[in-house]
Amino acid sequence: MVFSSMAVQAETITVCSSCPVKTIKQALAQAVNGDTILVKPGIYKESNIKIDKEITLIGENLPTIDGETKGEIITIGADNVTVDGFEIINVGLSYTTDYASVRVVKSSNFVIQNLELEKLFFGIYLQKSNNGKVLNNKVRGEAVTEFNSGNAIHLWYCNNVEIRGNDVRNVRDGIYLEFSSHIQIYDNVSKFNVRYGLHFMFSNNNEAHHNIFETNGAGIALMFSKDMILTNNTVRKNWGTAAYGVLLKEISNATIAHNTFELNTVAITVDVSSNIDYFHNDFISNGYGLRIRGASYNSKINNNNFLYNSFDLSYNGKLNENNFNGNYWSDYTGYDLDKDGMGDVPYRPVKLFSYIVNRTPETIILLRSLFIDIIDFSEKVSPVFTPDNLMDNNPRMKPIKHDRS
Amino acid sequence: MIRFFLLSIISILFISCEISPQKIEYGSDACNYCDMTIVDRQHSAQMVSTKGKAFKYDAIECMVHSLQEDMADTEMALYLVANFDQPGELMDATSSSYLVSEQIQSPMGANLSAFQDESAAENTQKKFTGKIYTWQEIQKHLKH
Repeated sequence: MVFSSMAVQAETITVCSSCPVKTIKQALAQAVNGDTILVKPGIYKESNIKIDKEITLIGENLPTIDGETKGEIITIGADNVTVDGFEIINVGLSYTTDYASVRVVKSSNFVIQNLELEKLFFGIYLQKSNNGKVLNNKVRGEAVTEFNSGNAIHLWYCNNVEIRGNDVRNVRDGIYLEFSSHIQIYDNVSKFNVRYGLHFMFSNNNEAHHNIFETNGAGIALMFSKDMILTNNTVRKNWGTAAYGVLLKEISNATIAHNTFELNTVAITVDVSSNIDYFHNDFISNGYGLRIRGASYNSKINNNNFLYNSFDLSYNGKLNENNFNGNYWSDYTGYDLDKDGMGDVPYRPVKLFSYIVNRTPETIILLRSLFIDIIDFSEKVSPVFTPDNLMDNNPRMKPIKHDRS
Repeated sequence: MIRFFLLSIISILFISCEISPQKIEYGSDACNYCDMTIVDRQHSAQMVSTKGKAFKYDAIECMVHSLQEDMADTEMALYLVANFDQPGELMDATSSSYLVSEQIQSPMGANLSAFQDESAAENTQKKFTGKIYTWQEIQKHLKH
């Protein structure tokens, strides 16, 4: 009666409180490869659900799986598994084991979508798994005051995973990648996280587009990775002493284009990172726009808008073949007699005061004082401390209207 | 009067240079080596120089790398690491035991945790496998 056969092999097993099959675990025990388990609305108090068959687990109208803090809730250890449409709550907490709401172990072709995770430690934990999708999930942590929270979406040694349309809040890191490659990250929202909105460690060939990172400890941290593309992301309101919009630490070959960085302590901090192209970004009202801390080579900073940052650029060391060209700087006071849209005198984005603040952070208290204006002006006229070849030869007279499509 | 004044200035100077660990503000302090925000109470570390300046790290591997690179010329008075079994508690790094285990991830990828003594490390090793090191050995292990 409740079993409705769809094909000879693939069956649908329905789970509800009045059905013959009352728990997801029972259904899993009966299921064979290719089956679908349909879970009716209700609350299911189950934990340590192990999916080791190729099945599709679907919740109707968001049934709740309550793990009662007994440990992990769903662990997937088979290929071709889909988990779709559940509210999953009360993951166990342990200092020594990273319990997750949903974990995928050494499996491929998985789809994890439309889940709502609350009261979690780690949310969706993918380990050594490939060719999967994590779509449209909501994760709500409680890591505002406590720091014993894990990450919302955590990838460890994964390959070729699509992470799209997720909304993750109040965890440690929104999306975390360690030793993972060819990961596509689109259209996610990551807010109010204790550490990072998006975090790459030792992960190459990854892309992030059209995401929003707001009010995190830092927006995006790219560390020890290469061949990255970040476009059309919005990084906003990452304020605090150790906060950044983006942190680049030992990165090479990256493209950072068409992004908006607004109201961050530092929009982008760059440390030992080379061959980075910064194109068509908006740096708006940050403490620092770009903060380049040395040992960074061959980067292009072209056609960006630097609007109303306290410091557009702070720079350590020599120019190192980094190229600034065709940017709009709101502090530029030059003129354009030949009317070609470019200022006739080069712009020097490094203020002497930013050099002083870098050496002695306490001097920031002098910002906006007349004395500082005078020394900045004198440095502009004849550079002594700042790299004298660090300039934008073609500063624009008007902000660039970026193509945001 | 002047002598008293000088004495109080000198004593204030001494107080401000007292060599002691500083509290790590989890979630807002940044690692001195890799700039990551320090959040992990089980893997944080700290060094205090002979001049009393504290350097904080989000991972033990960061402290060791820092010691081998940018801090190589700074004289240190204290080396502290977080106790894996007592999250948030710092202990003397030089007398601690270290476990490198694939099963326990640390913030900077070295899979390195610290324990009060060898028996504590062995207890965790039984559960998670891995290899135990002393402070001297772990520094050699992390040298690249």
